[in-house]
Amino acid sequence: MLAAVMFSIGLYGLATQRNGVKLMMCVELMLNSANINLVAFSAYQPNVSGQVFALFSIALAAAEAGIGLAILITLYRLYGTIDLDNINALRW
Amino acid sequence: MDLGHYAPLGAEALLTAVSLLVVLVGLFTKGRSSLPGYLSLAALIVAMWMVLTAQTGTVFFYDSLRVDGFSQFFKAVFILVSLLVVIASLTRYNGRPGGDEYFALLLMATVGMMVVASAIDLVSLFIGFELASLSTYAMAGFDRTKKNLEAAMKYFLYGAASSAFMLFGFSMLYGMTGSTRIADIAGASLAAFNPAILIALIFVVVGFAFKMALVPFHMWAPDTYEGAPALVSALLAAGSKKMGFAAAFRVILIALLALKLEWYMAFAILAAVTMTIGNLVACWQNNVRRILAYSSIAQAGYISIAFVVLGVASEGMTGPNNLPLDQYALAGGLLLVLGHAIMKTGAFISTAQVASIAKNTEDPDDISNYAGLGRRAPITAFCMTIFMFALAGIPPTAGYFGKFVVFGSAIYGGLVWLAVLAILNSALSLYYYLRIISYMYLREPAGPKISESKGYVLSLLLALIATFWIGVLPDGFFNWAMQAAAALLP
Repeated sequence: MLAAVMFSIGLYGLATQRNGVKLMMCVELMLNSANINLVAFSAYQPNVSGQVFALFSIALAAAEAGIGLAILITLYRLYGTIDLDNINALRW
Repeated sequence: MDLGHYAPLGAEALLTAVSLLVVLVGLFTKGRSSLPGYLSLAALIVAMWMVLTAQTGTVFFYDSLRVDGFSQFFKAVFILVSLLVVIASLTRYNGRPGGDEYFALLLMATVGMMVVASAIDLVSLFIGFELASLSTYAMAGFDRTKKNLEAAMKYFLYGAASSAFMLFGFSMLYGMTGSTRIADIAGASLAAFNPAILIALIFVVVGFAFKMALVPFHMWAPDTYEGAPALVSALLAAGSKKMGFAAAFRVILIALLALKLEWYMAFAILAAVTMTIGNLVACWQNNVRRILAYSSIAQAGYISIAFVVLGVASEGMTGPNNLPLDQYALAGGLLLVLGHAIMKTGAFISTAQVASIAKNTEDPDDISNYAGLGRRAPITAFCMTIFMFALAGIPPTAGYFGKFVVFGSAIYGGLVWLAVLAILNSALSLYYYLRIISYMYLREPAGPKISESKGYVLSLLLALIATFWIGVLPDGFFNWAMQAAAALLP
């Protein structure tokens, strides 16, 4: 339940926020809700593969945050802002 | 420890080692050596040979990777795409500062895709997915222009959200069935069906659909393909998108055979909407890379027809020559994947060539820059024309053959409406392909004749040969795809 609520908060934030860092925090929230799920479920299972999976995904989430922040920093240097509403060179 | 046992995974090991070596070379030569490019090229050629000759049917690392016909088919596609991109990148990135990182990331992305193709466990699937995604996020912003970074940011946010969806779905699948192995999940859901499995599955499909750029999860694709460096767009459209299909084929088919009737209609609607919207929106684009992006969304729709047919195909249904219908449909999907990967890589490399000579620097991919390309850069224009026809599905090219098998399987499966819609869509797509071609040959040149750079020309010609080869002599490829399909189906 906690995980589902966390996932929904992250998704809601992703849809409403326009600030790059906040968006990344929302994505992290979604990823971590899945981790909670994995660990919680593995308590009811005879094996620990859920916990192993959670460890892997924590490492991957960290790498993902690293790349995301790197992109944000270069973006900030070029545009002088991380408000994604002001970054709209590409339009359909 | 017996290392010989791991020989079928040699290609992955080699590419990982070379990507690290490339970084080291770059470190000691301060990124000015032209070694990284040639090293990656050699590694990819050797890896291709290893993949094609690997002994199939073995399982590694506690049932998490399997080398079978299906995985080798996709690996060959991924390596082919990377090979074409590397050859084209030799002039653009090799020997420049940062070029070593470019090639290292490219090889890493390839390894990630190859792991996904082999994965039969959710953990290894997720890791491969993320390895490929993270490398391509970094590559999408590689030239550090404003457009690049915006494209990278959009791609990153959508990609990260999609992996969150996927991971959440995986965690629920694990919770319901107590295993992360795809085969065990299939067994458990067959034994005791639980509605929560269906919800978990929807999460997983949404995660994959982002990668495959199916409507309505396609919003990032045109922006990213337009904004990222053209050669990276080639890798994204041809490689990373096909990775989504590899994963979807594995997970959806194996794990959810039990739910057949409940998901085929959803996929039919998804496929129909995807190809129609992709083709319609492509008609009023003026940016060639955007046109290609929407056409690749439409192609994703054609490929997903294979899912639909697999959903309806029941025991004993046959296609032409009494081939099992499910195998026939899957082989068609695989052939479309192969053909589309080659044609799209070629088309994006052509746009890279044009962008490098563009007069209108405000928007280097604007269709006005293609005016008179037939006289300015004859080889590029000719190859682009062939790729356009091939994407539209004109025989005798790779595009025609894949479409023929997939649409045919839809008719054999009783889905005539879907096949008719797909054929009408192909006709519609001719409009925007012909528009590009008419710009290239019927307009006055927008500038003087230019010398085409060798790397681009070489990879364009290779892609051209492959396109015709599959189109003219399809038998061998068809048998290969049938074997791959047989390896996947139970």
